[in-house]
Amino acid sequence: MVAILTTTFTLACVGVFLLLYVNLRAAAGWLQDDIKIMVYLDERLASDSVAEVERQLRGDRAVASLLFISKEQALGEFKAQFPSESHLLEGLGQNPLPASFVVALSPFFRSPDAVKRWAERVRQVSGVSKVDYNQDWIDALATVIRSIELVAIGIGVILSAAAVTIIANTIRLTLFARRDEIAILRLIGATTSFIRIPYLLEGAVLGALGSTLSLVMLKVMYELFRQQMRTTGRFSGIENFMAFFPPSVCLALVAVGMGLGFAGSFVSIRRFGEVKA
Amino acid sequence: MIRLSHVSKQYDQRPALSDVTLEIGKGEFVLLMGPSGAGKSTLLRMLIGAERPDEGEIFVHQKNVTMLKRSEVPYLRRKVGTVFQDFRLLPKKSVFDNVALPLLVQGASSADIRRKVTEALRAVGVEHKRDQLPAGLSTGEQQRVCIARAIVNGPVVLLADEPTGNLDPALTSEIIELFKLINARGTTVVVATHDPQVMALVNRRVLTLSQGRLLPEERVLG
Repeated sequence: MVAILTTTFTLACVGVFLLLYVNLRAAAGWLQDDIKIMVYLDERLASDSVAEVERQLRGDRAVASLLFISKEQALGEFKAQFPSESHLLEGLGQNPLPASFVVALSPFFRSPDAVKRWAERVRQVSGVSKVDYNQDWIDALATVIRSIELVAIGIGVILSAAAVTIIANTIRLTLFARRDEIAILRLIGATTSFIRIPYLLEGAVLGALGSTLSLVMLKVMYELFRQQMRTTGRFSGIENFMAFFPPSVCLALVAVGMGLGFAGSFVSIRRFGEVKA
Repeated sequence: MIRLSHVSKQYDQRPALSDVTLEIGKGEFVLLMGPSGAGKSTLLRMLIGAERPDEGEIFVHQKNVTMLKRSEVPYLRRKVGTVFQDFRLLPKKSVFDNVALPLLVQGASSADIRRKVTEALRAVGVEHKRDQLPAGLSTGEQQRVCIARAIVNGPVVLLADEPTGNLDPALTSEIIELFKLINARGTTVVVATHDPQVMALVNRRVLTLSQGRLLPEERVLG
């Protein structure tokens, strides 16, 4: 019982961290969704040339979505966003703002290098005058995501090792308590696997129970946190973006718990070694 | 059935067995005598592959025990029943379950287990105690259960290490009679003891160990 609870708490720590990681990663993903690349077109580009650039962009597998903004729309947007500055453009007589495409890249092409390569390639397309995006922002976001991943892997490995150690110690205590029984079994001709299998299964069940309980605990904590967020009104709306593990991940976590339990048991049995008959 | 050829074993530079050569035939009843520390237990442990000699070879039932792989040792032990001074029964299991253990580890069917355990318990005279826990039995009864567990498989050899060490003279006599009965059914029996009463009761071949060496044999025909 103590072993199950200790395993539960250790795996719950893994779970809390994993949940944080999943949510942070998702948040970073949304931010990446917001990365827009502006493809400005040459002044006085004929409309069929604009269509040609659009056809090329649409045919590009890196492009997830595309929005055309004509010169007139650009001017309208400028006036809407900066009403007090609109007089600046009036003196010029003609609309100085270029037509453009607002491009969102598909997830596989959002790394800083990929964005850079894509922008350089599109810059060569005839009719395109400039490709603009926020390089610093993309770099910073990529660094954040990489850091989250590194920390997640590090903490995940440490906590998993802790779970294995706890289960290994539990099984070792059980083995120690039953050393006479094991010695007798050896004397009467029990094979190593006959003796080991129950302990390996015990470890696996311990791990599976621990991870199931930790998931239940996490779910309760998660719901309480969401409710708290909703009632206090602070960080309003954040609860809508928070997500718990999908069922497939929950199942995978139980399987991982089982695997860790099995591993812990295995380590323990190997260390306990042959009980002398 | 059992053959030792120039077997030696040392523990921390101290010889436990020195150049022991002996042969025990099928169906024999042999006493292994000697004071504590003479090497009796070491010899018995070697016969079931629990210890390996530093030198020499050991054959049990035509198998070279010294060459056995670790994974083959359990199969040797299924042919050799063992009885101990301290009984080594599982305290939380009933008499029946204790005796059933050797059959269980071999994967015998439950019908087979029921039949063989009942026979073994009847043979040693504790059939009526089958549902009791070992703690509820007298020492003599516990030793009988231990013997039942050793013979339930129908072993070719029965090894007993000081089986009467914890028993009074009356019980000692009963247990020795039991060994004689088992031997009469064809099982080779080797009893290690330092108790002269046992020697008088058995009245068969005696092998004597002293400081790890086998002394010249005295054969008593019973």
